[in-house]
Amino acid sequence: MATIMTVDDTASMRQMISFTLSSVGYEVIQAADGAEALKLAQDRKVDLVIADVNMPNMDGIALVKSLRALDTYKFTPILMLTTESQAGKRDQGKSAGATGWIVKPFNPEQLVNVVRKVLG
Amino acid sequence: MIPSALANRWWVWATVAAIGSWAWVLPFVPFGVAFGSGCAIAITVVLLVGHGIKLHGLRRMPVPYAAPAAEESDAPAEDEIDALLAKPDEIEQVPPVDQILASMEADNHRRRLEDLLRRWVDVAQRYSEAALMLRKEIYAVVQHTEQAANTISSSFQAVINKATLQAREAMELLEGTQGGATDGAPQSLTDFIRVSDERLTKMADEVVRVADLSVQMVKELDGVQSRTQAIDGFLLDVEKLADQTSLLALNADIEAARVGEHGRGFSVVAQEVRRLSQRSHEFSDRIRQHLKEVKVGLHKTYGDMRNLSAADMEHALKIKDDVVALTRSLEDKNREVAETVGRINTTSREIAQDVHNVVVSLQFHDITSQKLKGMLELMDELRRTLFHLMQETMVNGKNLLPPKDGAAANGEESADSHTASGDAALRKLRTVGAPKNGPSVELF
Repeated sequence: MATIMTVDDTASMRQMISFTLSSVGYEVIQAADGAEALKLAQDRKVDLVIADVNMPNMDGIALVKSLRALDTYKFTPILMLTTESQAGKRDQGKSAGATGWIVKPFNPEQLVNVVRKVLG
Repeated sequence: MIPSALANRWWVWATVAAIGSWAWVLPFVPFGVAFGSGCAIAITVVLLVGHGIKLHGLRRMPVPYAAPAAEESDAPAEDEIDALLAKPDEIEQVPPVDQILASMEADNHRRRLEDLLRRWVDVAQRYSEAALMLRKEIYAVVQHTEQAANTISSSFQAVINKATLQAREAMELLEGTQGGATDGAPQSLTDFIRVSDERLTKMADEVVRVADLSVQMVKELDGVQSRTQAIDGFLLDVEKLADQTSLLALNADIEAARVGEHGRGFSVVAQEVRRLSQRSHEFSDRIRQHLKEVKVGLHKTYGDMRNLSAADMEHALKIKDDVVALTRSLEDKNREVAETVGRINTTSREIAQDVHNVVVSLQFHDITSQKLKGMLELMDELRRTLFHLMQETMVNGKNLLPPKDGAAANGEESADSHTASGDAALRKLRTVGAPKNGPSVELF
């Protein structure tokens, strides 16, 4: 089964994403901010990244840019899961190379469907 | 003392000076008329000059607002004094009292403004402190809700894991009871019921067949018995033949005796015939004896067979009925198990759906946290602005702080009441919420 990395500075969010996806069989790893996520992603291959936008140290948009700069993550799906719903932020994410934009709160069923769709 | 309203009037001073000067001169009127007149004039001039200097001093003070009463005092005081000196008879036309009043009003206004500013600085300081306190409180709220959200999230994760496990075990139980058989060995309850039913039915059928055979054997025994009775009849015939032969031998023996010596050989033959007849009787008796024993044995077997066939049939039929009833009961139980497992499965799915709803709702924490953090930024900005304004104000007006007691009493009262209610609200904020170590119990 695919490995998914969830990146969010709120522990409860990471926990909820983790258990929603692990309950349908995915392996889920967690990172508290963009910097930690970037380090983890280089240590091991991740098949999908679900990241928050507003985070300390390195925000979600910067994380997408950094991951896209790596050869191994050029085509890896990256979903943004955030409270930001303004078109401006969304466009920033899109131009940085994000695969999708999900506005919180997420519905577990909907998240699983989106994950299945982007993982193919 | 002369009342202040009169003290500022030049003509009062002039009158007092004139009367005074003329009074002490009276005894020397004839000698001092000329001197006295000169002195009066000199005193009048001195008073007018003094009044002019005072007006000049008032005019040099800054007037911070455009008071309508001060509009007429644009001309410099020196000019007025010169005018007064030049034309002492025209003093009535310049009203310096209005100017004094105007400058006093301006002075009061400036003091009120200073006081207001002092209160503003005070309020800024208090609200800056309050903003810091609110920041701490909001941060604590964010921390507490995060902690609570984590706990709730973990708990629900455990709930859904257990529900999933329960559903899986229920499904395994259902598969165990409803699954198929492999290699003839029963793998499930359904299969077990089916195999048991088959085997027990086969056995009951066998018993019924054995019972049928017993009935046939009883019938066969009936035939054997009738044949033994026929043998009995044959034996009677054999005995009759032996009796007739014995009688014939006796007659031959009598006839031989009558013939005498010539019949001796015939007599021997007759004795032999009689002996054969006796042996025939003996054989017949022995056969009858054996036949009797056979008949007794047959009779007993016949009785046993009849009992056996009747009991077997009855027993076999009862076993078959019991097997059917047992199978039905097991099938019912199995159906109940399947239904219960189905219900458990439905409940598990419902729990999963409920937990999904909880997951959606729990994300409020993240959303509210971000909103609160946004508020924190605004509050920090407000606090910084207040602080800088306060600093600047204090540098520019060192005499403003600390606020003077009793100044503008009414205004300060209202400001104090505002800040007092703010402090009370903060104190209340700090006491709201359970202690960090969990709810405590205190008995008195």
